[in-house]
Amino acid sequence: MSITREFTKGLWEILPPFRLVLGLCPTLAVTTSAENGMGMGLATTFVLVCSNLLVSLLRKIIPSKVRIAAYVVIIASFVVIVELMMQAYAFPLYQALGIFIPLIVVNCIILGRAEAFAGKNGPVASIADGLGVGIGFTISLAVLGAFRELIGSGTVWGNSVFWESFEPFTFMVRAPGAFVALGLFLAAINLISSKLDDRKRRAQS
Amino acid sequence: MSFGDYMLFIVSAILVNNILLAKFLGNCPFLGVSKRMDTATGMSMAVIFVMVMAGMITWLVQYYILVPLNIEYLQTIAFILVIAALVQLVEIVMAKSLPALYRALGIFLPLITTNCAVLGVAIININEEFDFVDTLVFSLASAVGYSLALILFAGIRERFMLTKMPKAFQGTSIGLVVAGFLALAFSGFSGLVGGH
Amino acid sequence: MRDIIKMLVVLTVICTASGFSLALVHDVTREPIEYSRLKFVKEPAVKAVLSGYQNDPIKDRLSIPVGTDKKGKPVKLIVFPAKKDGKTFAVAFESSSAGYHGDVGVMLGVDLNSKKLTGLSIVSHTETPGLGARIIEPNFTDSFKGKPMDKELGVGDINALSGATVSTKGVVAAVNKAQATLDKYRDKMVQ
Repeated sequence: MSITREFTKGLWEILPPFRLVLGLCPTLAVTTSAENGMGMGLATTFVLVCSNLLVSLLRKIIPSKVRIAAYVVIIASFVVIVELMMQAYAFPLYQALGIFIPLIVVNCIILGRAEAFAGKNGPVASIADGLGVGIGFTISLAVLGAFRELIGSGTVWGNSVFWESFEPFTFMVRAPGAFVALGLFLAAINLISSKLDDRKRRAQS
Repeated sequence: MSFGDYMLFIVSAILVNNILLAKFLGNCPFLGVSKRMDTATGMSMAVIFVMVMAGMITWLVQYYILVPLNIEYLQTIAFILVIAALVQLVEIVMAKSLPALYRALGIFLPLITTNCAVLGVAIININEEFDFVDTLVFSLASAVGYSLALILFAGIRERFMLTKMPKAFQGTSIGLVVAGFLALAFSGFSGLVGGH
Repeated sequence: MRDIIKMLVVLTVICTASGFSLALVHDVTREPIEYSRLKFVKEPAVKAVLSGYQNDPIKDRLSIPVGTDKKGKPVKLIVFPAKKDGKTFAVAFESSSAGYHGDVGVMLGVDLNSKKLTGLSIVSHTETPGLGARIIEPNFTDSFKGKPMDKELGVGDINALSGATVSTKGVVAAVNKAQATLDKYRDKMVQ
């Protein structure tokens, strides 16, 4: 597959967390606002791209039996780097994302891509794959975050949007709302993809 | 803490601040495993065991290795390595001494390594500055809470398998919406502990 | 046998490389992290207890050695000065004492001329929610404003929390500890 193809598949075909149903914990927790969603997405993308690259470069050296252990060390190291850099240069985001920053290390997306792709493909393709999946994830998180923020707090990126007397549907920014919002989004995406598949099938016949 | 405090602490960890429905930890396997009761129960057993052991060992690692050597910033990497090693060890021991259970758990055992609930609880133990006994109690209570949510959910989903529903909602989407209402129900418990 | 050696070597090399890079990043980020922590965690507390200053108390912070710990390492106290026309008229610094469940950390603001408390803010605690944790309420912390720092403070001088006497006493003890610190190091704080 061409490099562009490797990149774009992360934006729809295997879009996390909707089409590639992984990485749900951070999705539910940090999408209380568009800003938090985007912040988490970018941090995850950084780790994903770096780990994909390193795993790909070392793929011929790492013995198969210990590959998961090696991947975990590599991913964990990049997560610690992100943790330290965030504390130093983006402290309010660090406070907002809290415990979910170290939890990037168990985000199944990263280990999943290392195992399914970076371990078997060249470095450039792995970077493209990491970037695509990461950016797709970031967009998903930002959109879901914006949705929950708009309905749950009446703001978009921290700026009030609705009129004074609008009572936000706080349910949306709390735990239950996260599940429901994600479920609705997932259903919507399923609907869209089945409609696209139908159209493709009809075009081919 | 007195006995009363401990009871409050335990109830809070299981119901009010349910590790899965309130704190959002451990969702990936939650939505994948909870389709059937028996897999849910098997996963619960494994999680309880690993979470308690991991909680204790990571606590020891934090206070006897990381802090004295001033390398607390390596917490994430140290903890995940402990958990991965622990799960590996548990697999090996179980394969030899409890083969039936090992086969029953199947792929769920290694999957516990990436269960954010295990790492999450380990980190919370340190953030909340629990002592060793508190850590043990909290890890156990959180694991029980997780199992409770998992089993409840599996029961509900088994019913759903037999219900007609729009194709877009089938599978994970309706699972999530149901989980949301389960979370809503659990959030009703916050009145129990008073003043949250 | 060769396989096992190869596995061990590869893992050891990866872990060592990881250790080195992390130590490096940790070193590089140490100062920015300290500043960030102070700015975002302590600054709200400092701002709550000091007022009327023309400078940036965080930027002008002083680090005063106040003794050594059990291992002989020097212990430093960070003091945030409030200045007007270049002269320090008040300082904010932290103190702590045992509460009901662990230490309670407080940030105090002291007017150096009147020797009175300009404010008190709870910085850290692990007290019981609903009981001792109420030490963070303004009703409690505001009652410390204007109290003298040259006389021992008693529980009766402030709005003690009913049902949380140990927590209350802890905060009061922290203030009295701070009085001793102030007496001892006052000159160093006014640099």
